[in-house]
Amino acid sequence: VTTVLTQTVARLLFLPAMAVAAATLVKGYVDTGDGFAAGVIAALAVLLQVVVFGVDEVARRLPLHTAPAAAAAGLLLALAVTFGPTLFGRAPLTHAPAPGERVIHFGTLEVLTAVAFDVGVFLLVLGFAVTSIRLLAEAGRGRPR
Amino acid sequence: MAGDWGSTTGLLLAVTALAPLVVLLAGRLRPRLAAPAAIVPATVALLLLGWIGGRGGAAVDVAWAPSWGVSLALTPDPLGILYGSLAAGVGLLVLLYAAAYMPRHLLHEGRPPHDGVPFWASMSGFLAAMVWLALAQDLVLLFVCWDVTAVASYFLIGFDRQHPAARRAAIMALLVTGVSAILFLVGALWLGSTYGTMRIGELAGLLEPGAATTAALACIVVAALAKSAQAPFHFWLPRAMAAPTPVSAYLHSAAMVAAGVYLLARVYPLLVAAPALLDALVVVGFASMAVGGVLALANDELKRLLAYSTIAQYGYVVVLLGLDPAIGPGAAAFAVVAHAVAKSGLFLTAGAVTEATGEKLLGRVGGLWRSHPVLALASGVCAAGLAALPLTGGFFKDELFFKAALDRGPLVTALALAGAALSFGYAARFWAGIFLGRSGPAETRPLPVLLVAPIAALAIAVLLVGVAPGGLSSLAEAAGAVSTGVRLPVEVAYHLDARPENLLALASFGGGAVLALAASRRGEIGPALADALGRFGPERFYVAMLQGLNHLSDAVHRFEVRDLRSRVAWILMPAGVLMLAGVAATPTAGAYLPGSFSRADVPLLLVLGVAAVAAVAVAVPTNHLAVVLLLSGVGYALTVVFALVGAPDVALVAVLMETLFALLFLGVLAALPRSVLGRLARSRSPTAIRHRDVALGILAGGFAFVAAWGVLSRPAALETVATLQIELTPTAHAGDVVTAILADFRGLDTMGEISVIGVALLGLMTLLRRERAR
Repeated sequence: VTTVLTQTVARLLFLPAMAVAAATLVKGYVDTGDGFAAGVIAALAVLLQVVVFGVDEVARRLPLHTAPAAAAAGLLLALAVTFGPTLFGRAPLTHAPAPGERVIHFGTLEVLTAVAFDVGVFLLVLGFAVTSIRLLAEAGRGRPR
Repeated sequence: MAGDWGSTTGLLLAVTALAPLVVLLAGRLRPRLAAPAAIVPATVALLLLGWIGGRGGAAVDVAWAPSWGVSLALTPDPLGILYGSLAAGVGLLVLLYAAAYMPRHLLHEGRPPHDGVPFWASMSGFLAAMVWLALAQDLVLLFVCWDVTAVASYFLIGFDRQHPAARRAAIMALLVTGVSAILFLVGALWLGSTYGTMRIGELAGLLEPGAATTAALACIVVAALAKSAQAPFHFWLPRAMAAPTPVSAYLHSAAMVAAGVYLLARVYPLLVAAPALLDALVVVGFASMAVGGVLALANDELKRLLAYSTIAQYGYVVVLLGLDPAIGPGAAAFAVVAHAVAKSGLFLTAGAVTEATGEKLLGRVGGLWRSHPVLALASGVCAAGLAALPLTGGFFKDELFFKAALDRGPLVTALALAGAALSFGYAARFWAGIFLGRSGPAETRPLPVLLVAPIAALAIAVLLVGVAPGGLSSLAEAAGAVSTGVRLPVEVAYHLDARPENLLALASFGGGAVLALAASRRGEIGPALADALGRFGPERFYVAMLQGLNHLSDAVHRFEVRDLRSRVAWILMPAGVLMLAGVAATPTAGAYLPGSFSRADVPLLLVLGVAAVAAVAVAVPTNHLAVVLLLSGVGYALTVVFALVGAPDVALVAVLMETLFALLFLGVLAALPRSVLGRLARSRSPTAIRHRDVALGILAGGFAFVAAWGVLSRPAALETVATLQIELTPTAHAGDVVTAILADFRGLDTMGEISVIGVALLGLMTLLRRERAR
């Protein structure tokens, strides 16, 4: 069913979709959306490629096999943000900077540990979704239709 | 006590803790770099321990979780220095030996060189955990280090993962020491919550004797005994001999098993509050000496023989700790070092012999002194140390043991004599069986220097302690003082007279020689005895328990998988019935209002109508594809509802999830063979079950409707948690309430939920990979 048209659209959509995911992620703390939504958007972008081009072709172009590692890294990052403060005698998930303190800005991006936590969620969701997509696609490949 | 990381002690802790990471990084660059990356920190750790032992070191005390009263309290007291140096010193020699051994081992097993990297990382991780454990003063910190050693030992014992025996041994060691470690945690938390502190030093002053205290301490003691492989938990140690030789030489002589008696010595100030436990230690110790000693005499496999002798030798130490407090702890510290040094030398000998001849059985080797005189001499000294001959450190170990036993009366003395005779017996049998005798294998390989030098170094240590025991005995004295609170002399010296200790020692040598000869003559009894113990011993309970758990898991699995609809029914039916009871019990007057309706509600109503139609259509039997599409239709309709009532965050996530979910669902369908799908679509459930399903659906749906109506009829609460959270959002530097709730206010919930995603991912990968492997 993949035609030149769908292939072109899919190819054209990939980078904008990733940009939307990144924007949803970093702006999540001040606007609608968060790490979870960003992870799903990015995963959908990958899924579109897999549906149009097939998993083998996509695996050649994108590092799909690193997805489990990304998920693990995300989980570890979230764990670090959660339990890191206990090393300094604070309650789990004590975010820095504390309420009332000044926030460092990069442009409009605010540097917060809560954002790091959200990045962890993003990586985990993306890794989970991409791994499931890849494994399911590979499982479905060898079957008689 | 106060301190931070900026002291020599802090440096020691940091060096050991970072070593495994350095090993992993170095091993990633070049597999050959892993060995030096493990050896250098071990050397530094040993030097630092020596420095701190000589000059004294500051305590490290950092608040960890102050609200729970837990702190990173590590003090380099003599007890810690003694066990820490033992772990680092023997560890260093074993690592040097392994530098020559492991490449050959990997070659024999047909594994690539980079497979050795996890070995080095686990070894230095184990070393770090032992050093931290030795210095820890806080019960929770002790537990954490304790568990790290258990986890590291799992990877080390199961290093040859291609052998089923190694995998079984690893899981057995992990279960026996890990499950008992939970008892340790229970005991520690029990004491901590009763007395409000986790520090052993503070607890010792507060503890009141009583049944509760005894029970809590008993939990800790059981964990310690399991770790030291004392009867009846001893069975994991001989199995663990499936590990590569350096692992056995380190973990099963100087580290893992020493951790158990170390814990007993560490909590000794608490054990005094429960004298019954000290008596129990004597019984357990003697039982282990009997079981270990007899089986060591009977066993023919080199490393297993040594493993059983380790069980017996730690029995010595446990007995010493249970006997007279005036001698016990100090003598126990002395005995642990004297034994560990000699025993690791013998383990390394076993590995070298196997490397030279390719044989693992005592009956298959012999007369090796001709081809390997240096090895014979070095391991002879180590064996003499185990057999407690004069001029070795082992002699004083027995002297102290006899002295403590003599105080306790004739029965204990007789048992002590029997135990000592057994140790002479198996030590003599091991050494003479390998190096003496007429016949050996036809040809032997020469050994590289690094496979012999560490044994020689250990032998020299054995001799040094035997000739000049003053240094070790004063350290043991100081270590004993940590346990008892008073510095009591550990008197070790040669006396050339007919005092009872000397006579007992002579008697044990004679008895041991007879035992060794008898054991070598009647080789048939041994295997039969080992077989009988294996059949009726405690290992049987372990196996039965494991099988029981497996059966239970299988039964649950079968029940869950057999019929999905029954399982859903089991959830829906109670939910519906409970809801019915709730509605029946509450007054209904004014609880169900139709509400008002305006033109602005028309779009919402339309969308809800679409959702309802799609939901009903799902229940009409069609093919799988239609069901999936209809289900996602319901989802999209509800997404629109969220968007209409002003919940953009929820709507965004919902639409994304619906899309992803529908596509993945289709992917699953595509992965299933078409014939299976067709058969499923054509098949009809029996009429009775279909009626049941319809009835349950109406019950559950009806009451969900009633509940939702009831809730919506109430006026919205003015002040809720949500209002508070909206107010707090700006202080969390956030503009979006939902994200602030997810990442900050209820972040711990999110953490738990994403952990579930991680676990689900693992499960998915395992399932689909296994499917593909078929």
